[in-house]
Order: sequence, then structure tokens, then C-alpha cells
Amino acid sequence: MKEVKRFNPPKKELALHQKLLNILSFNLHLIFKNIKNRKRSTVIIILGLTFSLSVLYTASIWSQTSQKIIADDYIESLDYEMYVESWQDDIEIYNDMYNFTAEDPLVEQVDWIFPAIALFNYEGKEDNYTWFPEDNQEDMDNPLSLSNGFVITNRAMDRISLNLEIEGSSSLRSGEILISYTQAKQLEEIFNEEITPGYKLNLAISRRIPNTDRSETQFQYFEIEDTTFENYTVAGIYKFVGHNTIIDRLIGGGATESAGTIFDSIFFPADVLTSYDFYRMINWGGIFPRLLVKTNAQQLREQGISNMPDNLLALRDRIQVSYYHAYCYVLDHALSEMTNEYARAFGSTNLFVPTIATAIFLTYFSTQITIKKRREEISFLRSKGAASSQIIGIFFGEFFIISFISLILGIGVGILLSALIPSFGQNQFFNRSLFVRYFQEIEISPYDIEMLTILILGSYLGLTLLNVIIYVRKDIHESILVTQKGQRILEQSVKILAFVLTVAGFLFFLLLEYKKLAENSYNYGLSLISASYRALYLFIAVVFFSCYFLSLGVNFILRNMKVIYNRIFRKSGFFIHKNMLRIRKSFTELSFFIVLIVCLLTTIIIIRSTSMYNNNFEDEYRQGADLRVQTTIPVNITEFENQIQSIEGVQNAFGFYSVKASVRLFDIEVFGIDSYKFLQIGRWMDSSLVDMSAETALSQLAENPRGVIMSEFLADRFRKNIGDNITVQDIRGGTIEDLIVSAVIKSAPGLGIAHGYDPKMNRQVTEWVLVNKEIISAGLGINNGTLFLAAMEENADFEYISEEIEKINPFTIINPEKINPDYIGFFIREHIPPANNILLVGAIFVNIIGIVYIFISTDFILEQRRKENAVLLALGGKQSKVRKNIVNEILSFITTTFAIGIPAGFLASIVTLTFIKPLLITREVVPMTLHVNTLILIIMIISLFAASLIGIIPIIRKQMKYEIVHELRAVV
Amino acid sequence: MKDAFVSVSNLSKTYASKGETLNILSGTSFEISEGELICLLGTSGSGKTTTLNILAGIDRPTSGEICYNGQNINEWTLDYLYDYRLREIGFIFQEFHLLEHLTSLENVMVPLLLNDWEEEDSRERAFNLLKQVGLANKTMNLPNELSSGEKQRVCVARAIANNPSLLIADEPTGTLDSKTGDDIMKLLQGISKKNKMTMVYTTHDPYLTKIASRIFVIQKGRIVESNAKNLEEVGYDNIIFEKNNKGEIL
Repeated sequence: MKEVKRFNPPKKELALHQKLLNILSFNLHLIFKNIKNRKRSTVIIILGLTFSLSVLYTASIWSQTSQKIIADDYIESLDYEMYVESWQDDIEIYNDMYNFTAEDPLVEQVDWIFPAIALFNYEGKEDNYTWFPEDNQEDMDNPLSLSNGFVITNRAMDRISLNLEIEGSSSLRSGEILISYTQAKQLEEIFNEEITPGYKLNLAISRRIPNTDRSETQFQYFEIEDTTFENYTVAGIYKFVGHNTIIDRLIGGGATESAGTIFDSIFFPADVLTSYDFYRMINWGGIFPRLLVKTNAQQLREQGISNMPDNLLALRDRIQVSYYHAYCYVLDHALSEMTNEYARAFGSTNLFVPTIATAIFLTYFSTQITIKKRREEISFLRSKGAASSQIIGIFFGEFFIISFISLILGIGVGILLSALIPSFGQNQFFNRSLFVRYFQEIEISPYDIEMLTILILGSYLGLTLLNVIIYVRKDIHESILVTQKGQRILEQSVKILAFVLTVAGFLFFLLLEYKKLAENSYNYGLSLISASYRALYLFIAVVFFSCYFLSLGVNFILRNMKVIYNRIFRKSGFFIHKNMLRIRKSFTELSFFIVLIVCLLTTIIIIRSTSMYNNNFEDEYRQGADLRVQTTIPVNITEFENQIQSIEGVQNAFGFYSVKASVRLFDIEVFGIDSYKFLQIGRWMDSSLVDMSAETALSQLAENPRGVIMSEFLADRFRKNIGDNITVQDIRGGTIEDLIVSAVIKSAPGLGIAHGYDPKMNRQVTEWVLVNKEIISAGLGINNGTLFLAAMEENADFEYISEEIEKINPFTIINPEKINPDYIGFFIREHIPPANNILLVGAIFVNIIGIVYIFISTDFILEQRRKENAVLLALGGKQSKVRKNIVNEILSFITTTFAIGIPAGFLASIVTLTFIKPLLITREVVPMTLHVNTLILIIMIISLFAASLIGIIPIIRKQMKYEIVHELRAVV
Repeated sequence: MKDAFVSVSNLSKTYASKGETLNILSGTSFEISEGELICLLGTSGSGKTTTLNILAGIDRPTSGEICYNGQNINEWTLDYLYDYRLREIGFIFQEFHLLEHLTSLENVMVPLLLNDWEEEDSRERAFNLLKQVGLANKTMNLPNELSSGEKQRVCVARAIANNPSLLIADEPTGTLDSKTGDDIMKLLQGISKKNKMTMVYTTHDPYLTKIASRIFVIQKGRIVESNAKNLEEVGYDNIIFEKNNKGEIL
């Protein structure tokens, strides 16, 4: 018997570190070789991971940086954040308060301002000269002119002038004043001379507010003898272009105010006044100062943008605790609004989450495909004696290196994108200065980066490792096939359970947390915004699960369409049906992904079109009519109405009479209207009034001279029903009793919501009521107004009408693009792209991701079928026929997935819209209803469809471009 | 042979691999008459499969001429070649190459459907063919549910589905045990005889050369013997297998 020689390799003893080094170097060598040899799949995985990571890093870096920049810019744009006054008329107390406030660490500077009134053309008027109201005084041929007069330091002037557009100079020297454009025009009428910088005039500074309750309507109550200043020079003429400013709040005013006081003021230099002047002003004139407080931006935003209002309120509390008699007006509302708008603007970036999720899925599936493609390699390594741990180690090493490259790229792209996005906010592709600024001031939170990296790469590597282990194990133990059925049932059960739990969690959250918050909220604030995007996250999970189960449905349908295949594709129907019958995991993943992509794409586009439609509709409703005319100087309403109506192309016009008043503790604005005209001209909605049409409500008001239409909120609060009486107080110092509630209103065209704050309308008070105009005009003698609505004839020339209106009154704003140009949202939008743009970019990315995945998957599936196709060709099948069969199969597949995905997207968008509103709008002024931009939807869907089909043709060609004999020989 | 059914002259096939040129066939010539049963005998790498592939029109020669019924198939367009493969050739692969997702019956239906048969008609014919090869009870089985012999029977049924004139079998018994191989060869012989098909097959098994009307011997890409009626005429030991100095077959 022949002796069997056993193979005994010579043993070479190596130190442990050497062994490890050898293994490492061998593995590294293999790993790098593998990465190099699989350039295409490596690139796709790196791209997918980089995309997912960079989007999340961008969100983090950009939010940190933009938060800082927005806060700094916004605070810098404000003149001051607070003013302080005391009801104790003692200048020493003011000095004390000044020192206390100036020393507070949150405070940057404190300035003095003395709010008074300035009188012009007072010369020669008797003591009993009656001048109030100003537009109805004793001698209208030679009237006294009154405006706000601020005695102010030059340092304060520098801050206030941030909100002024000045012709001439704002720096006031001795004997100089700065006057408003409106005041200059009034004086031009009185003096019949043009007022330009350099013009000289006399003025008197007096106590600020006439107390009309005490009938202080006569000249003698103003004690101007010791505070007259003669021959002063007009240094500059300003227009107020302000935002939320303390000076605006201090004296009242704003763009839509009928008697806008900031528009009608003068600034008088305090630096040049002597101590005696001050003494006269304070002690004789009774003019007491206010302290204007400017905070330090860095200190204010120290703990994040959302804490700014609280920081400011804490400063107010510190002052008021020390000075019980102090009153502090804080621009906390503006800051809160900014915080809310910032949260909304940034919250809307969450609309990009579905895109990120699909990118993560793309990466994961691509990796799976790569692993599947390498089953042979696993078998080969195993046949050469590689241990499972070695094989897993090699695969894991590869994906670890790929992840590391993606991490570096992701951070780089994240930094770049976060500096680029603000440019998109300004509708530019690249704004160099903004880019440089973001780059210089970039804020990176290591905590965020760590967490996001762990979330994405951790889960990615974990899942990949799991996949490799499964494949390696499968290779070793084919017996696993035996238990596959049981495993599949277990897998499906786990998926169904997870789906049920997610849906239950989502509904629970939506019904309890979100609904509760939404019901108690008149405006969509921070808590609702964050609840909204938390609901969005949950819902995305629900959508993912739903799409998975829908894809099972798709596969069922595809497997059972034999009759249709035979009818459409005739003799090829057999092959298509047979291929569909063998739908396996890779096919399930493909159908899941396409259903998901189509569903998300449809949802995103519908939400976008609904949001855009709603925004436009809301803006039109806010505008109120074909023409909205705002005058910066109050004009006689009847006269102006007639003038507008006389313009060719204008059908009808009317103006709002308005006056401030109160109902019990609520400040309200009372609008006097011509009911029939308002009904005819205004763009009323079905939901404008409560349980009543606009026709009925306005007809009833017209028929009832004492009628009042009040908000739903006031009616609920005071338990008033239609027909009940209500009293309006503090209306020009008086009271109107026995008004009868004739209707309850939610909102009106041109005026917006009747209760609550609509920042886009910029009203000082949040309540308004409608009464017949006679109550204000005849009853209170107010005949001037600033807001007019008009209807245009069909085919009227808007440009011509605008020009004609401007000829009548040059101080008009017609159909303003921004009714409240101070709306903080516009400011924030300079840094954060609007939700619509985010959705559009999201839709495009989802489209691209979908197309890429379809390509990868088709390539993989066709590669698996190369042998089959070679057999068909060897048996005499024509290449064109085989190709056509593949195209038809893909066409059937894509059509079916689209047919399922699109309705699913419709359904998802309906659900999404119930909780996503806080991310899109500040308040539901008009009911948000689903609106589908069919054109965009069709374009997007067709582009995905067409790109998928066109794109796979080269893949099919590539996969068919082989030698039949080679393929038949290659696979045994 | 003036009325040759298949005539091959100066056939050569070369492949370029890593800068080197491999001559698989170099100047092969032979002729086959209609109804003949040709066995192609040769060692691995001698060019048997390449010759068959070229004959079947699934591979193209580098040079040379193949005339089928007097027409040079090298001059045909691709479409013509597809039709040639579909209607004139029946191919039996050593590795079966059955479509794994189709049943035996459906696998046999494939060439019929490719030949534009109606599904129902093709189903009927496929069933009859399977019956003919003794698999009437296995029509609904998937390939992985069949034994190797059964798979090869399905291949035979598939190859003759379109009633081809030329049946080509590339080592049809290569993966089968001798008993099953014998059965398959008998089946092929019977079928070719019954259907008056010309058949060319390759084999290693000397026993399987017995059914051949002529034996071709191919060595290093060249036909060295084309008129032998049996192994004795071939000089089996000396020609087919290369031997070392000790007389062992390499």
C-alpha cells in the first residue's frame, strides 16, 4: 500500500504583534483592492452616505450659524429693545434708573429721549384757539400744525436713524431739527413754500398728549411760552422705513395706522440744550424723559435664539423689582415673533427629512446589492479556508473605510452647503458676501456632529455587518433554507407589529399632543411647530411602513396580471408573466423603493402646491380686493373714494373709517364701513363669518344702523349672541352704548383675522369690529382714513389706474407686495429658504434618488439574468425580442408601482396637511384645502417615469452586449 | 462530397487574452451529409465546443467558411442567424442551461414561443415532447426538482421542439453517470433517426462513439480524422489521448 504523505506546512513561530500586523496588512491589501476594483458601487455608496450625512451636518451647522447671524442682524436692525419710564415725575429717579440699567450686563447702551409735541404756525393764535381735532380746528385757512417732537441725543439719533430714510443730515447741531416728510408736506401747505433741508422755521416744544377727556383742546393748555425755539434750520427730512422699533412703539404709528405718528414727527437735538432748557422743559413744560435701552446682541442670544425673549423679560423684571414705579415696554413680542418665525422657517427644513430618509435607504440597498453580487467571492474565500470572522472583517473593513471617506466628505460638503444655502434664501445661486460671512462666522456643534454620525454611520455599518453575517452564514449552512419559511413568517410578523405600533404612536401623538396644542392656539407658536415636525417624523415612518406593505400588494398584482400581459404584450406576455411570478427579494425592494419614491414625490408636490396656493390665496384675501390703496397721510375718505371711482377702469371704491376703542379690557379697532360696497368689492370667503354668509351679515349690518359685527373670540368671551347689546368704550374719550351684535366674524378681506395676531398685517391691536361708517364719521367727526379697497372693471389697465391714483395722491401704496413690510418672516427668509423651495429641492432629490436606485437595481437584476438571456439567444431568441421583453417587463413594473404610489401619495398628503400647517403658515387665515398642481405633478412623475425607462435602455444594452458562448461558459 | 449538408472549410478561431493570441481552431475542414450522426472526439481544449458553437451559429469564426445547405452562414445577417438557430438547430448543452424559474413543460415551450407559436399550441406540443422523452409525469416540476438525467431529457425535448434539421449536443452525457448517459444517447439516436435529423455530438466516452455513423477526431484545433467508422479506425489510444513517457494518459 502506498504511503500517504500528509501535507505538513513548516511552522514558523511569529510574535503576536507580527501575526496581527500580517493579518492587518493582508486584510488592508484586500480591502483596498476590493474598493479599487468596485469603483462604481463604491462611488454610489460614498455618494449616498455623503449625501445623507452632509444634509444632516448642513442642517446642524447652518442652524447654529444662521441662528447667530439672524439674531445679531435682527438685534442690530432694532433701534432699541426696551424703553423705561416711571410714573414718578422726578428727574433724579430717572438718573438713578439710568445708572442701574446701564450697569446691567445685558445692556449695551442707554439713551435719553424726551417725548413731547412740536407746534408750528402757533404765532398769533389766541389762548382759547380751539385746534383739536387737528383737521377740524378753528381756522383751517391758517391752521396750527402739530406733530410729535422728540428731544433726543445725537447718540440716540444714530440708532433711530437706522429706520429712517433721510434727505439731508440726521446729525443735529445747535439750531437744527429733523422733520418728517409728512410734516414737511403739511407745512408746505400752510406756508405755501417748498420745505427742503436748510429751510428755517419757528417751533414750540410742549407736553406730549392732550388730555381730551379734560377738554384740553385749546391752545392755552399747552404752556409754550418758555419752550419756543425760533429760526431753527431743517437739517433733514425723513421718511420712516421702520421695522419693529421701540421709537415706533413709544409713540405709536406704523405703516397702516390712520394717524401714523412716527410718520408725523420731528426730532429736536438734546445735546445743545442747556441745563436751564432742561429745567424749563421738565419742571415748567412737564416733559419727562424715557430711557431707551439697547442690549448686547451676544449676551441676548447667549443661550440660543429661543431664549432671547426670556432674557429680555428678565432684564425688565430686574428693573421693575428695583424700581416698582417703573414701566418697561419690551420688544419681546417682536423677539418672540422672530423666535417663532425662525422656528417655523427652520422647522420647515424638516420637510427635507423624507429626502434624507430615501437617501439612507438608497445607500443601504446599494450596499446590500454589492454584498449580494459578491456571494461568489464569499464562497471562494470560504473554499480557500477563510474563517467567517476573516470574511466579515474584510467586508466590514471595506465599508468602514467607505464610511470614513463619506464622513470626511460629508463634513466638508456640510460646511460648504451651510454657507451656500443662505444664498438660496435670497433666490440666488451664490451670494459671495453672504457665503464669506457664513464661512467666517461658522458655528459647529461637535455634539450634533457626533450624534448624527453615530445615527447614520452607526446604523449603516450595523445593518451592513448584519447583512454580511447573514450571507456568510447562508454560505456555510445551506440548511438555513429549511428554516427560511419560518423566518419569513417571523420577519413579516415583526414588520406588521412595528407598523401597527408606529401607526398607533402616530395617531396617539396626533390626537393627544398635537390636537390639544392646535385647539388652544390662535397662532402657530413654538410648541406647535415642534409638535408638528415631531408628528412629521412619526408620519414618515408610517409612510415607509405603508409603502413596504403596498409593495407586497404591488407584487401580488404583478403576479396576477397574466391576462393583461397576454392582451397587451401578446406572445411576450408568457415571458413577462413568468418573470413576475418569480418576484423575489431584490424585486420586492425595488417595488418598495419605487412606491416610496412615487408616494413621497406626490406628497411633496401636493404639499408644495397646496402651500403655494394657500399663500397666494391668503395674500389676496389680506389684500382684500382688486385694488388695495394705502395712504401714508390720512385723507378725506369720501373725497378720495370719489376720486378713485372716477378713474377709468375702476368700478367701485370705498375707504375704512377707523378709530381705537376698547370693549371691557380688550383694545379693539373699530372699522366703519359701507356694508354694500364692502360686500361688492371685498373678496369674501364662505368661511369669513360664523354660520352666516357675507351677504346676509353685511345686509343685516346695513339695515341696522346700530349693528356691530364682532369676532368669534369676543362673542364667546362676553357670551354675546346675535341681537345682544354691547358697549364700546374709550372711543375718542367717549362711549358708544347699545350697539347690537348683528353677526359674528372670523376674518374679512383686506383686514385679515378678527381676533389674533397676523404678523403679515401689522396691526397694533389684535381685535377689530365692524360698524356702519356713520357711527364714526357722523358720530365722532372722523372723516379721514388711510385704507381703501376698490374693484376694477374686467380688462382694466392696472398700471394706468395706479398711475392715476398716484397723480391724485403721491403718498399712496397700491397693492403692496408686503402689507406689513416689517414682517419678521421676510427678514428671516433672507437666511432660510422658504418651505416651498425646500419642498421643490426635496422633490428633485427624491426624483434623482429614485432614478439612481432604479438604475442600480435594474443593472443588478439584469446582471443576474445574463445567463438566462444568453440561453434564450442560443435557443434562437432575437436580441431585439429579448430586449423588448425586458423593457415591457420594466414598463409593467413601473406602471403598476406608479399606479399604487400616486394614490398613496394623495392619501399621505391629506394626512400630512392636518398637522404640517404650523410649518407652512403663521395662522390659518383662510382654510387650507388640498390643491394639486397637476402640471408640476405630471411633469415630475413623467420625468421620473421617462428617465427611468430611458435610463435603463443603456443598462439593458450593456447587459446584452456579451458573447453568448462566454455567458454560457461562465456560469456552470 | 458535392451534396454536403454541412460543409466546413479552413475554419479558424482565435481569442486574444492578456496580449496573447490563442488559436482555438486552426484550419479545420470537414463535411457532413444529411442524416449522419457525427461524433466529435477530442481532448479538453482541443476545440470541440467551439466547433459546435460555430456550427450552431452562436459563435462566429475568425476565418473560414461554414456552408449549411449550400449557404455560407458567415454571410448571414444577425436576424437570419437567429432564425437559423431557432428553426434549423437544436442544441443540447452539457450543463443543461434550463431556465430555473420555468417548469419542465415551460422550458420546452420556450423555443416554440420564440418561434411565435400560440401558448396553448406550444403547451400541447411541449407535453407531447416530454412524453416522448419519458417525462410525462414531470411536466410541472422545476429544474431543481429533477435529476440530472431528467434535466438532460428536458434539454433534449427543448432541442427538438422546433423540429430542427441539425441537432447539436455538447457532451450531453458529461455530467451523467454511465447508465443515464447511455439512456440519453439511445434517446438521441432514436430521435434523430425518427425525425431524420442530422446530429453532431461531442463526447469523452469511447462507449458512446458506437452510435456514430462517423467519428471526427479533433486535436489542437484541427480535425485529424474524419472518416473513421469506429474507434479501431481512429487509433484510439494513440490519437485521442496524449501520453507521457511511462504511457500514462495525461
